[in-house]
Amino acid sequence: MKILMAEDDFASRKFMDNYLSQYGECDVTVDGEEAVDAFMMALEDNEPYDLICLDVMMPVMDGYQVLKAIRDIETQRGISKKKRVKVIMTSALNEERNVKTAFELGCEAYSGKPIDVEKFDKLLKKLELI
Amino acid sequence: MAEELNNDGMLDMFLYESGQLLEKLEGIILEKQDADCFDESDINEIFRIMHTIKGSSGIMMFENITKVTHRLEDVFFYLRESQPDNVPHLELVDKVLDVSDFVNGEMEKIKAGEKTDGDEGPLLKELDDFLAKLKGEIKDQGIPLPKQKKNDEPSQFYIAPVASENSRFFQIVIHYRNDTMMSNLRAYAATFALKEVAEDMLYTPEDIMTNESSADVILAEGFYIILQTKSSAEEVHELVDSTEAENIEITELSAEEYGQKLVEHGRVDAPPAASAKASEPAKEEKKAPAPVVPGDYVVKSKETGKGKTLAKNQPKKQSIISVNVEKMDALMDLIGEIVIAEAVVLQNPDLKVPGLELPNFQKAGAQLSKITTELQEIIMSLRMMPLTNAFQKMKRIVFDVSRKLGKDIEVQVVGENTEVDKNIIEHITDPLMHLVRNSVDHGIEENVEERTSRGKPAKGRITLEAKNEGGKVYISVKDDGKGLSKEKLYEKAYSVGLIGERPITDFTDKEIYSFITLPGFSTKEQVTEYSGRGVGMDVVVKNIQSIGGRLDIESTEGAGSEMTLVIPLTLAIINGIVVQIGSSSFVLETASVKTFMRITSDSIITEPDGEEYIVLRDECYPFVRLNEKYNLKGAGTNVEDGIIVVLEHESRQICILIDKLVQEQEIVVKPIPSYIKRVKGVSGCTQLGDGSIALILDIASLVDNKERRI
Amino acid sequence: MAEEIMEAAGLEEEAADESQKGQFMTFQTGKEFFGIGISYINEIIMMQPITLVPEVEDYIKGLINLRGKIIPVIDVRVRFKMPPAEYTDRTCIIIINVKSMVIGLIVEQIAEVVNISDDDIVPLPSLKRKEKEQNKYVYGLARLEDSVKMLLDPEKLIKQEDLVKIEENQEEEQE
Repeated sequence: MKILMAEDDFASRKFMDNYLSQYGECDVTVDGEEAVDAFMMALEDNEPYDLICLDVMMPVMDGYQVLKAIRDIETQRGISKKKRVKVIMTSALNEERNVKTAFELGCEAYSGKPIDVEKFDKLLKKLELI
Repeated sequence: MAEELNNDGMLDMFLYESGQLLEKLEGIILEKQDADCFDESDINEIFRIMHTIKGSSGIMMFENITKVTHRLEDVFFYLRESQPDNVPHLELVDKVLDVSDFVNGEMEKIKAGEKTDGDEGPLLKELDDFLAKLKGEIKDQGIPLPKQKKNDEPSQFYIAPVASENSRFFQIVIHYRNDTMMSNLRAYAATFALKEVAEDMLYTPEDIMTNESSADVILAEGFYIILQTKSSAEEVHELVDSTEAENIEITELSAEEYGQKLVEHGRVDAPPAASAKASEPAKEEKKAPAPVVPGDYVVKSKETGKGKTLAKNQPKKQSIISVNVEKMDALMDLIGEIVIAEAVVLQNPDLKVPGLELPNFQKAGAQLSKITTELQEIIMSLRMMPLTNAFQKMKRIVFDVSRKLGKDIEVQVVGENTEVDKNIIEHITDPLMHLVRNSVDHGIEENVEERTSRGKPAKGRITLEAKNEGGKVYISVKDDGKGLSKEKLYEKAYSVGLIGERPITDFTDKEIYSFITLPGFSTKEQVTEYSGRGVGMDVVVKNIQSIGGRLDIESTEGAGSEMTLVIPLTLAIINGIVVQIGSSSFVLETASVKTFMRITSDSIITEPDGEEYIVLRDECYPFVRLNEKYNLKGAGTNVEDGIIVVLEHESRQICILIDKLVQEQEIVVKPIPSYIKRVKGVSGCTQLGDGSIALILDIASLVDNKERRI
Repeated sequence: MAEEIMEAAGLEEEAADESQKGQFMTFQTGKEFFGIGISYINEIIMMQPITLVPEVEDYIKGLINLRGKIIPVIDVRVRFKMPPAEYTDRTCIIIINVKSMVIGLIVEQIAEVVNISDDDIVPLPSLKRKEKEQNKYVYGLARLEDSVKMLLDPEKLIKQEDLVKIEENQEEEQE
């Protein structure tokens, strides 16, 4: 599968990259804007991502903005809910309001940091990605 | 703030909500355990509770909880849709409680940071079997089976951050040798090496790559790293080691300390705190806490990595915080000290100069008193909790024990909203549990015939009652069972040699009942699993006494017993009146003082046995001379010289003679040192403004004592 | 705290050598001299105003307020069943800490701190006297140049005869 990860923190990025690479090709951006760009490019090339992992706190655009942008673009292009890209937010912000906001904006899952790899695996299975 | 960093908001919310729902569930079950079946609203409610827990545990990915609650939800779905008759109610109740226990158990594990590894298999099978049976019966009744419910798996998930069980936190301080060239590059090398294993890392100084002068700072102060990793201290040490390093200190941190450090280092990766608020425009601050909107968490600088600051800081509202009980206790103690200090200042002997008037001082003093009073009230109210939970627990115990003993018992609860100091709740839960078990086990008759022959309903009844009266809380466990047999108690006490050779007529009923609280006493020949041997009742009494309470036992043979825990509402501060008898000071609880008066000696009548009474306005009060009772020196004996105080406890009165009324004030209750055995008529002591000690009179036991002799 | 004391008590039994071991605070009550292991002693204070507590054993004199801490005090003379003596300005209160219980001992006069080696301690001859009462607090005799000191076991000294409830009831009945 094709994965995009937006994460500005080096350590987290490295960790996630290592982890996700076992499941597929993993593109990495370090800020929100680049993530939207990457998402667009993949759409244009007709090779959309299967999974996007978004950090919440990022430079230029935060995870919420990116998520909203992605969902907006998908709606605009008439991509059905079923076919749209799966988005997992990753953040140490784990208060309910943070998670709720993300859910409302339409992410598939929200994973607190540090990431529970075992559960992440289960999650990917539930999302039928692996 | 540090705690918040490590508390997972989502997880807490899940635990809190599910806990509430489970409590509610148990409430419904216990209320309806004896009914023939659940009514429609119960079924809907239980269905809804299971549905909610299933849903939220699904989102949280606690799969075994999801499965179990899902299955029970299915059961109630059938019940709701088909409304069959002949549902084996007790079996159903059992199943629901099993599920509730299972979920509770798993939630405890989550709280402890453990894996939810409870095996849901057996429970699932039981539920499946039960459901199959239900369906069978439903079919037998000719009711069409409801359609298979659509399975609404959650479509969104939340993964709680990994518990710190395998992540470790370190603080690493590296000091380089003074002649190290470009120590900032050495430091960078160390951080680079650590990135291999780091889950998270922060270091100071931060600008090691961009600012050459950071090298001097590193040489002077050392290079600080805080690190989250799965590696051991040794592995970390190996990674950062270099020939230039003179000294490497690696300290393991707890998760809390780590969180603290993160905050100290200005890392706002955590919930945006109130820092940097000052820079916000004023109008921004006045805004109500806004919900999260996209864009709130943009990190300002394009610089990747460390030292993030948010473009917009969230004004943060925290309406509820949890506080360590120890801190509350410390605060409580301090406030107690303030109250004493206040008394020391305001009643200072230095002020007692005849003719000295200090209006401004008095005014300031009054203000101080007002504030300390408010302070006390607030801390008290913080510590008050209703007994609801404790009672709920007791209901559950009655249910469990009665089921296992094959007794049919209903529980009635009165006054469960009575509020009590948290400390006290902790102290009474075990004693109360013991009393309840005793009532179920020893109180209620084993044979239904035994009950019916006495004209009692077949079903046993246990009443839990709490009420608040005169600064005390009364919590009683009442059963309508056998009651205590005085003869049996006496024989038993006699045979174990607890009372010597004295005949039964020597003892009052109350004393005979109190035999059961003696160490090593039990009338039940057979030791049962639930109320054990005679150990326990003496422990109950000891526990209750340790918080200044007592246990009252009332019983009528054949009709039932009532055990009442009488405990102070709060342990700490009471309103009291300081009086003097001879050279001793005593404190009377204000609530129990009815009147003060002066009388003439002809109001006193003396019985032939020497008992004295005071007759006032057609009322006759027993009169106790404390100076004689307690052998106090220097006290006046002529009632016309002193003041008579009428004390009241539970509508029973008693009079005492005092020499002098000192004043009314707030009294910080201190226990009498445990070395001194409990003194009858004294419930505690306190330190007065001048440093002397006054004993607090326990009106209840004075009244009791007197009454018994009448 | 409690552990320390337990440890100290344990050491005493095992006769292990510690710095405080062998040091005893001696005091005079009546004509006799007594000694208490110095490790039990918190401090020594002058006589204080005592708040009487009614209905307790006669040797429990009451409560004192020591810097905000409320401490029970017992009169050693009365404890030894000797007739009580007037308190004078030489009367002292020895504050001891036994198993984390803090208790004051009223003694007539403090003597001195002495070193007593184990060799000089003779266990009390096990007499079959009727008045075992008096001796149970004394675990040994120490012979010094000019006098004999009786060494006290503070734990036993403060221990109260276990009054069971019944006895209290009896007392009450007799009132």
